[in-house]
Amino acid sequence: MNNSWKNFFLPRRAERELDAEMRDHLDRQIAENVRRGMTPDEARRQAMISLGGIEQVKQDCRDERPARLLADLWRDVRHSVRGLRRRPGFAAVAVITMALGIGANTAVFSVVYGVLMRPLPFANGRRLIVLQQTAPKAGLHDVPFSVKELNDYLTQSRTLEGIAEHHSMSFLLLGGEEPLRVQTGVVSANFFSLFGVQPVAGRTFTDSDASHDAPGVLIATDKFWKEHLGGDPKAIGRVFQMSGRSHTLIGILPPIPQYPIRDDVYMPVSSCPTRSSAAFIGDRTARMMTAFGLLKPGVTLEEARTDAAVIAARLEKTYPEVYKPQYGYGSYVNLFRDELSVRAKANMAPLLAAAGFVLLIACASVANLMLARVTRQERELSIRAALGATRGRLMRQLLTESMILSLAGGLLGLQLAPPAISGLTLLAEQFSARTGEIRIDLPVLLFTLLISVATGVLFGLAPAVGLRRDPNETLKEGAGRSTETAGRQRMRKILVVAQLAFSFVLLAGAGLAIRSLWKLLTVDGGYRAEKVLVLRFSASSARYKGPQAFLTLNQRVLDSVHQLPGVRSAAVSLNYPLNPNAIAADDGFNRREFLIQDRPLAKGQLAPQVEFSVASPEYLDTVGIPLVKGRWFTEQDRGESLQVAAINESMAKHRWPGEDPLGRRVSFDEGKTWLTVAGIIGDVKEMGLDRPVPDEIYVPMKQNQFGGNNLLVRTATDPDSMARAITGAVHQAGADIAIDRVRSLAQVREESVASPRLTAILLGIFALLALLITAVGLGGVLALGVSQRRQELGIRLALGASHKQLVRMVLFQGLRLAALGIAIGLPCSLALTRLVAALLYDTPPNDLLTLSCVALLLGMVAAAACFVPARQATRIDPLVALRAE
Amino acid sequence: MAASKSDLLQGTLDVLVLKTLALEPMHGWGISQRIQQVSDGVLSVTQGSLYPALHRLERQGWIESRWSASENNRQAKYYELTKRGRKRLTEETEDWERFAAAMGRVLRAES
Repeated sequence: MNNSWKNFFLPRRAERELDAEMRDHLDRQIAENVRRGMTPDEARRQAMISLGGIEQVKQDCRDERPARLLADLWRDVRHSVRGLRRRPGFAAVAVITMALGIGANTAVFSVVYGVLMRPLPFANGRRLIVLQQTAPKAGLHDVPFSVKELNDYLTQSRTLEGIAEHHSMSFLLLGGEEPLRVQTGVVSANFFSLFGVQPVAGRTFTDSDASHDAPGVLIATDKFWKEHLGGDPKAIGRVFQMSGRSHTLIGILPPIPQYPIRDDVYMPVSSCPTRSSAAFIGDRTARMMTAFGLLKPGVTLEEARTDAAVIAARLEKTYPEVYKPQYGYGSYVNLFRDELSVRAKANMAPLLAAAGFVLLIACASVANLMLARVTRQERELSIRAALGATRGRLMRQLLTESMILSLAGGLLGLQLAPPAISGLTLLAEQFSARTGEIRIDLPVLLFTLLISVATGVLFGLAPAVGLRRDPNETLKEGAGRSTETAGRQRMRKILVVAQLAFSFVLLAGAGLAIRSLWKLLTVDGGYRAEKVLVLRFSASSARYKGPQAFLTLNQRVLDSVHQLPGVRSAAVSLNYPLNPNAIAADDGFNRREFLIQDRPLAKGQLAPQVEFSVASPEYLDTVGIPLVKGRWFTEQDRGESLQVAAINESMAKHRWPGEDPLGRRVSFDEGKTWLTVAGIIGDVKEMGLDRPVPDEIYVPMKQNQFGGNNLLVRTATDPDSMARAITGAVHQAGADIAIDRVRSLAQVREESVASPRLTAILLGIFALLALLITAVGLGGVLALGVSQRRQELGIRLALGASHKQLVRMVLFQGLRLAALGIAIGLPCSLALTRLVAALLYDTPPNDLLTLSCVALLLGMVAAAACFVPARQATRIDPLVALRAE
Repeated sequence: MAASKSDLLQGTLDVLVLKTLALEPMHGWGISQRIQQVSDGVLSVTQGSLYPALHRLERQGWIESRWSASENNRQAKYYELTKRGRKRLTEETEDWERFAAAMGRVLRAES
């Protein structure tokens, strides 16, 4: 091995060798000198002289070695750590500030990375696409596929290697501890191989599972397996009953994102009674399935889109009676990966920006601390410079120190990140199926390291500003403290103003989010959510055959619940206000086309659409919707009596403007049967508090075969305390009933605003962090100013200024900086908050009230931050201050 | 230091060390003695600058060092020319000869 590299790796050994070499030289020179006739002492002295200072020579030799850098670094590190230990307060404030900034960014990044950037956990993740049919002119953007349509796309596609289908149904699963309602993904046999998913145990579906007479099989998702099968690998082979058939568990999936809906188990299409019926397969308009495709290798998304558009155009031409020209039939293709988190980008962007701002503010704050510290250290640095340390060498020392602080901050930040991540994950769950992939792993750690190093450099370089070139100046100054250079003073003020401006932007963002949330929380939904319990009950279609059986069950459930004390009213319905399923449906929950009697459609004219719902007589009282005109349903509205309907005010206004809708008739089966409008009820914000009220029509439970399976109970007291009694009453009404989604309507309403609420909370936390850091920074700058002007202030006091005047002076300084920060922050926030405008409800980004409150808050915090330095000023004793020199 | 002895020009020390080592491997003290002897005492090596030069040459790969027994059985650090060092010496020698010749011509023309 080359000697110099040996030195690099073995610094101690190199030192020993250097010593030995010098000793050897001296010995020889002494021997030579003695030979020439010197006394031993003189010989030694002369030998030392001719060598010219052993330590100097050794140092020169070390300078020639590559290990030099490392040794210096080590020395710098030790020096810095010693220095920081002497000032634990400074070190603690700097590390905690950086930890807050880095922790916030680590948390946001790990969520953004997990949800948006991480490669999909499927072998074929990069080539997977989602295929959808659209009818934009009919307001439909995600029309499911029928079997015939799937076949058309598969056989005609030139860009896809294969297509897999999925639809999700809710089945009752029997054979476990209690009946479970399971969300079941019904998929083609190639579904898992198309995605490239390997089961963690057992197998996935094969073609033989999909044949009509194959035995029933089932695959469990990771979550279902862990929650309901105890995570037991021996669960494979267990037999369950679903829709009257036996199903054997054959495989367990790894944790993978579930799209478009979170399924519990999967089964092949052959097991779904609807999907495998000949009538369904033969009907081009029997649409239910979602389609996934696998791009052929080398095919771009653009090519696949063109290809699908060509097929859609061909279908529209071939079957004009199905794909009516007025619908504007088309197709939509997107990468599966992007579709999974389609709303995540818009929702995460403000948080990402906010975290970035917090980090910048933290950097500015620590840079300011460093500047203050360098000022106090000026003499030490100058002495070192006078002793021969170069400017570069001193800079390196400062950088080492800032790097130690930022890396320590990064380490502490990693500890702070997990609780922040759980909060952010709750938010991300609102719009991404990929939250299971959020974790702190290598890419996240690298990110943390990167921002730690970058911020370390950023705030480490700040003190270099105004680092004097000539150490003499400092040394010539009095033995007391040194004053700040003008450049550095300006730098410190700029940094504080920047912090104040950034804080203003953050506070404005958070303020707008909170104001928007406040408006959402106080908006009138058109119903009374207090004291209502809602639950979903599901009966097995194997046990309850036909619509009449379900109707009887519904009536028995209502009767049973009515028996309970404390029940004011109870109803069964198909939908209820802010039903999460309805909110999630982009194209309406149960939107249907209808006809109005005596108003034939012109050729090519679209049929009007309406949200269709079913409800029992007490629904209106239970949910608290006002009756506007006419009548609501009674027990007398039965199958054999007049078919009636109730509409909401929106529908009345849109369909019968200026007319009386009562007594008019509408049809949902192209004129075969007609319903008479008997009443008009109030508008309800069914689809979301921030969304417009849809046109709605209700029909009586007993006049509709679907009936609905949501039970709503208005209680005399707290509905949650009645939950147990009510579920018990439902179980009493019939065997094998699964109950889920038990909660109060108030809770449903709360959950519908979970996303804006979490956004507001998280933005609020970030803004408070920023405010705290900024307040500390502002206080620090003013305090340093006061301590540096002690003598001046002392003189002022001696000349008759009162302490009050000094306090006013400090306060004025602080508020001037705050005013400057607000003046800069305001236009910045106007420019930036426009980005979040889409997330705000009824709140313009330039909302005057919010911005004034934010400015006021910032001003008050700035005034409070002046408190410490102001007190410091009042404690100045003119005698002491003047004598200090 | 005697005034009659020439101060070493920047960069000359390296060539002298290389030339000295071209004859045989040598320890630091020996090198300084040899240079003084060969130049009839005209060129004296400041011992303080010899060692950093040796470390520098070693880092550049022109010489190598190893510890071995010297005349009276003591351990000494011996330096030795490498192949690259030998090539370097040839180049340097040519440069020096060209430089010396040019200097000679200029000085003669002036006198």
